Amino acid sequence: MQPCGQSLFAPRPGNRPPATRLLALLLLLALQGAAAAPAGSRTPEDSEWCQDAELPQGLLLQAARAALHFFNFRAGSPSALRVLAEVQEGSAWINQRKERKVDLVFTTELYSTEEAKARLGKCSARVFFRNEKPRPAVNVTCTQLIERQKRQEEDYQLYRHMKQLNTPLDVVSIPDSHGHIDPSLRPIWDLAFLGSSYVMWEKTTQFLHYYVSQLSSVKQWKTNDDAIDFDYTVLLHEFSTQEIIPCRIHLVWYPGKPLKVKYHCQELQTPEASGTEDGSAVAPIELSNF
Amino acid sequence: MKPLLGTIYLLGMLVPGGLGYDRFLAQHRHEVVDEVVSPWRILETYTYNRYHPMGEIYQWMNQIRENYPEVVTQHFLGMTYESRPMYYLKISQPSSNPKKIMWMDCGIHAREWIAPAFCQWFVKEILQNYKDNSRIRRLLKNLDFYVLPVLNIDGYIYSWTTDRLWRKSRSSHNNGTCFGTDLNRNFNASWCSVGATHNCQDLTFCGTGPESEPETKAVSSFIESRKENVACFLTMHSYGQLILLPYGYTKNKSSNHEELIQVGQKAANALKAKHGTDYRVGSSADILYATSGSSRDWARDIGIPFSYTFELRDNGTYGFVLPEAQIQATCEEAMEAVLSILDDVYEKYWSTSRAGKVTSTAVVLSLLMSFTALL
Repeated sequence: MQPCGQSLFAPRPGNRPPATRLLALLLLLALQGAAAAPAGSRTPEDSEWCQDAELPQGLLLQAARAALHFFNFRAGSPSALRVLAEVQEGSAWINQRKERKVDLVFTTELYSTEEAKARLGKCSARVFFRNEKPRPAVNVTCTQLIERQKRQEEDYQLYRHMKQLNTPLDVVSIPDSHGHIDPSLRPIWDLAFLGSSYVMWEKTTQFLHYYVSQLSSVKQWKTNDDAIDFDYTVLLHEFSTQEIIPCRIHLVWYPGKPLKVKYHCQELQTPEASGTEDGSAVAPIELSNF
Repeated sequence: MKPLLGTIYLLGMLVPGGLGYDRFLAQHRHEVVDEVVSPWRILETYTYNRYHPMGEIYQWMNQIRENYPEVVTQHFLGMTYESRPMYYLKISQPSSNPKKIMWMDCGIHAREWIAPAFCQWFVKEILQNYKDNSRIRRLLKNLDFYVLPVLNIDGYIYSWTTDRLWRKSRSSHNNGTCFGTDLNRNFNASWCSVGATHNCQDLTFCGTGPESEPETKAVSSFIESRKENVACFLTMHSYGQLILLPYGYTKNKSSNHEELIQVGQKAANALKAKHGTDYRVGSSADILYATSGSSRDWARDIGIPFSYTFELRDNGTYGFVLPEAQIQATCEEAMEAVLSILDDVYEKYWSTSRAGKVTSTAVVLSLLMSFTALL
């Protein structure tokens, strides 16, 4: 990998990470069982990369967002969702096809925490953006924020709570207009956010990024094999266009098992997109009139 | 007397949100309130840590004006597309000093509810403290505060009655098939060149021409006619936790860019000191995205030196639908930032040959005292 002209760029002034630290990061990624993008998506490792010293504005943040959505999806744990705290360091490479490779280190907080001084987790990631196309390839590892047993216990509690809820749920919107989420509905929000993470990961590009604004038309019904089968619509907010995009999401979840997600978003200009996660041992549930 | 006031509040809430101001005013007149409510009530009992529909905000403005006549006046700015009156509050300490203006508007985007909440909070803080807080007293010696609590009134009402995530105004286009202009793309600052569209269906629709919307025209005419006296133009938005400088329509920097960065960073530091919240500071094109036709850029371009956009809490966790439980903290920290900017504005224009005298007097006095102690 040769430089595209200049030296390593650091996001914080006066804080240039030595080359050795990034090298260690790459080794770490290679050695650990890091979460990787699903099979079938191209990881352009072999392309000619040159180092992009003129880091395009917000590229590191974009990479962090994509990595975090993907991490949350893969972790499959609605009680251990994470949000971005801070990007600490990173560098980027670009190839002839204008694809970008980003290595970065960032910190995270727990989504559910209300503490003023939340504990920080640390993540390192490698993200490939394919020139404005969605579905960035992600390799991400994070330090543990919640003890494994505690997380499993909370997930299972959430699962039991969801199973007890009456179906179909006729909830208008979560949160309500004033930002309130009834504590009894919080598990629904967390699970919906988990499923949305998959959608947001897939839709994130170098320039587009998403947040969950609100949850509407919540439905749920039980399945034979005891998993939570959850059908709902989220309103995603895309930041650069400011648009609100309704996405119908259908997920199947059981604590500890990989999350399965199907979705269908109402795009404005582009033809309606839909995506499916594959690679699970459990056969996907068939839906009628999706 | 007090129960009557309570009835007014109740009526204000019972009246369906979609009604225009004039119908509310008619009802209000039927329940004539002659008695003067003691000033502390409007500040103590109005819930500044809740979101209020437009009817209640109109009512609140009336009561502020009635209860602080010595410093507050209410003024008509113009009419919205759906024929609602736009009012701003002027907070001014009478004096013979020549005054400069701080302009603050909130709610140019309908769904950003925390912004109007902050405008109301700001007014409350100033009125509650201007008598015995030396910092605020000093500012009011030479600055008048003009506060527009809701700029996009039609859109704000629509976000209460129909669509919580509505952003634009409610102007009608394409024979009533398409609604709303993004008012913050409608100002005459490189209008519709970048970061905005000519498509009415888009959320960044720039309108049919610069200042095509009555709301935009109302604000721009007003500011334009006083531009030599406006020292500071603040426009409040959410979300993103940012303090934005000009420009959005170009990566070029304004002539006072360094100063704006310094003042902005100092404000962000003051904000962070309150509750630990991080706000980033930079030009819109650098740290957000390219936009054209924004009020902040327009204000800078007509010569107003300190022009900032605030993007209040949060960072995407709740986004536009920020829980009411966070209103207080958000407003408290933003207040520190705004006061910090105002202090810097004050220092720049009215500092302190006076302050220099005070300092040297103190030095002379202490020297004299230590000298006499030696005798």
